[in-house]
Amino acid sequence: MKLNRMVTSSALLVGLITLLSPLTVMPSYAADSQTKSSQSNNKDKKDSESVWDESMGDSWGDEWDEPKSFWQSFTGFAELSYGQRLQTDPLINDKQTLNEARLQVKNQWLLDSSTVNIRAHGFYDGVQSQWRGQIRELNWQGKVSDNWDLKVGQQVLTWGTGDYVFVNDLFAKDWQSFFAGRDDEYLKAPQLGIKASGYFDKFSVDLVYSPSFTADTYIDGSVFSYYNYQPGAMDVGQFEPSSPESAIRIKINQDQTEYAFYGYSGFEKSPLSARVIQGQEGQLNGFVPYFAPLNVIGASVRMPAAVGLFNAEVGHYNTSDSDGQNPLVSNDQWKVLVGYEQELMPNVTGSLQWLYEYILDREVGESNQQHRSTVTAQVRVTAIQNKLNVQFFNFYSPSDKDGYARVRVNYKITDTWQVSGGLNHFWGDQPDSFFGQFEDASNAFVSARFYF
Amino acid sequence: MLDVYKGLKVTTKLTSALFMTAMLGMSSQVIANEAETAQSIIKKAELAAYYAGNDGKSQARMLIVDSQDRKQMRQFTILKKDVKDGGDQKMLVFFSRPTDVSGMVFRVEKHNGQGQEDDRWLYLPGLDLVKRISAGDKRTSFVGSHFFYEDVSGRATSEDTFELVEQTDSAYILSAKPKDPSSVEFSRYRVSIDKKTFLPMEIRFFDAKDNETRRVESLEVETVQGFPTVTKSKVTDLVGGGYTLMEFRGIEYNLGLPDDLFTERSLRTPPLEWLRK
Repeated sequence: MKLNRMVTSSALLVGLITLLSPLTVMPSYAADSQTKSSQSNNKDKKDSESVWDESMGDSWGDEWDEPKSFWQSFTGFAELSYGQRLQTDPLINDKQTLNEARLQVKNQWLLDSSTVNIRAHGFYDGVQSQWRGQIRELNWQGKVSDNWDLKVGQQVLTWGTGDYVFVNDLFAKDWQSFFAGRDDEYLKAPQLGIKASGYFDKFSVDLVYSPSFTADTYIDGSVFSYYNYQPGAMDVGQFEPSSPESAIRIKINQDQTEYAFYGYSGFEKSPLSARVIQGQEGQLNGFVPYFAPLNVIGASVRMPAAVGLFNAEVGHYNTSDSDGQNPLVSNDQWKVLVGYEQELMPNVTGSLQWLYEYILDREVGESNQQHRSTVTAQVRVTAIQNKLNVQFFNFYSPSDKDGYARVRVNYKITDTWQVSGGLNHFWGDQPDSFFGQFEDASNAFVSARFYF
Repeated sequence: MLDVYKGLKVTTKLTSALFMTAMLGMSSQVIANEAETAQSIIKKAELAAYYAGNDGKSQARMLIVDSQDRKQMRQFTILKKDVKDGGDQKMLVFFSRPTDVSGMVFRVEKHNGQGQEDDRWLYLPGLDLVKRISAGDKRTSFVGSHFFYEDVSGRATSEDTFELVEQTDSAYILSAKPKDPSSVEFSRYRVSIDKKTFLPMEIRFFDAKDNETRRVESLEVETVQGFPTVTKSKVTDLVGGGYTLMEFRGIEYNLGLPDDLFTERSLRTPPLEWLRK
């Protein structure tokens, strides 16, 4: 069964690549015998020119002199990925965590003073045995006045100062992709909305309005299992609200320091709360997941410090259970993030972050902890003319005694071929702690990507 | 996506004026004076190579060839504006090829004061993320090429001491030594500056054993709007092997680029009116 699925996705990818190859826009470089250095400067110049000409042909101009038609301008990639659990998960009878053949395309339609952006991917998900697709971008973007820009339609949105840690960024995220080892690009999920950005002398402002709430793609038990306080699987998606959500950011740059203030009005991005189902006579019939209404206000600062970059961010989460009376609904919360990043040596960068979460008005009997702290450490290494990139990212919670280590290695063989591999390792003493609950999700993954 | 950012992240200090010259450099045609000293020559070369015009625009492509003859390509458009001649500068680099970096924008606020680090940001379109980049070693690869970040932003002439060692009919030959040798990978370099244009035509770097390790050359110079401009240049890695060729076209100076072009706005909403030919 698994073998069949693998074969299916491999065959698909090969097919896609064959199909796309003729469209490849990169020039095919002719073999040449250029030596790494020459004795004479003149000869060197001559060699350089011939390499240039042979390699590039006279194609230098084609991209600007004769802009390609919209239909000729599609770029993107085809990718084959595979990942599997490093142990078994008694709840999910499948060792595979990733097995897919993906095609992503991107294009931009240039209008007079604006653009229409398109980015979409479709893939066969061999783990869940289904075709899946997503329009990541389909929007119109342009300047509507000297000070205002608009972006309308399906889009990916990001702000805030953390690395993989979000305080004031409440735009949709895809944690399943993150845990499965898909490219970082997929950590952000797209959402339909309008973004208006105003740029003024002293500050800029971004206003985002989404007519319908977009939840995170949270861990829902389909590929990775989580700790459920109540037994029984349930289609949580049906409880997602459809009301609008909105967000604002005001940003002020002063010398080398960036200050920002944020606001969000919407709902918890995953079903962290629950609601009671009552029978006709008021008796307790059970609980259903609930995306509690949520308002967040916060601020951040980012600036050079010592020999690196310092960032700090704070957010106040205000839920519908402000006074902490309802144990099923998340209480108000403060989140504080402090981070520092610097180059450790040439081509090696390190960063540290500390996230502190404090739950307000916690009632006796509520199961979640009042304080939670998480420390992240990251090291990035670049080598071989930037072709090899290694990232090590570790989350560790001293309060929960659990953690998540993430390793990703990426090697760019050519401008068109790239291979990646990595590891997601979760650990924890308690089956219900934040990272500990995902212990059975620890996985390793590999992927090969062909750009066109 | 983030990989290129890692590439950009690399960086610390020195100048091979060639890149910038080529980039947008222009050089006011300074007439060589018999009494030029090493210091006055290098100052004129810095202005010629990095500060020509008040602002400028160029399209650029790089061919990166490694020691095993494997090739990569980069293509981008640069917008640049001087805050002050010989001082701070603002720059935007819009990448168009290859596919994995297409749509990425690199923004630099160059601070030319001694010991001042540049401010740098990278926009990753896939995530709609404006990533601020921490200060780093400027003598590491710029987007995977053999050009260093410092070749792009310019090595402050105050970092080195210069001596005029030779004059030919057409060039001044200067020898340079770093004031802080621990901050760089070379122990000296020798730069040949054209007497007419004051453009650096060749820079040869030597290590402590006096072996030549790296060479930066101007292969072609064209006069654009009266400014001699390097339109083709090459960096050769004489130790690891490999080289990068860079070519510029569509160079325009003094376009009147507004200050507010060089802000986060241009990262998220590319300024089409300035990027069009």
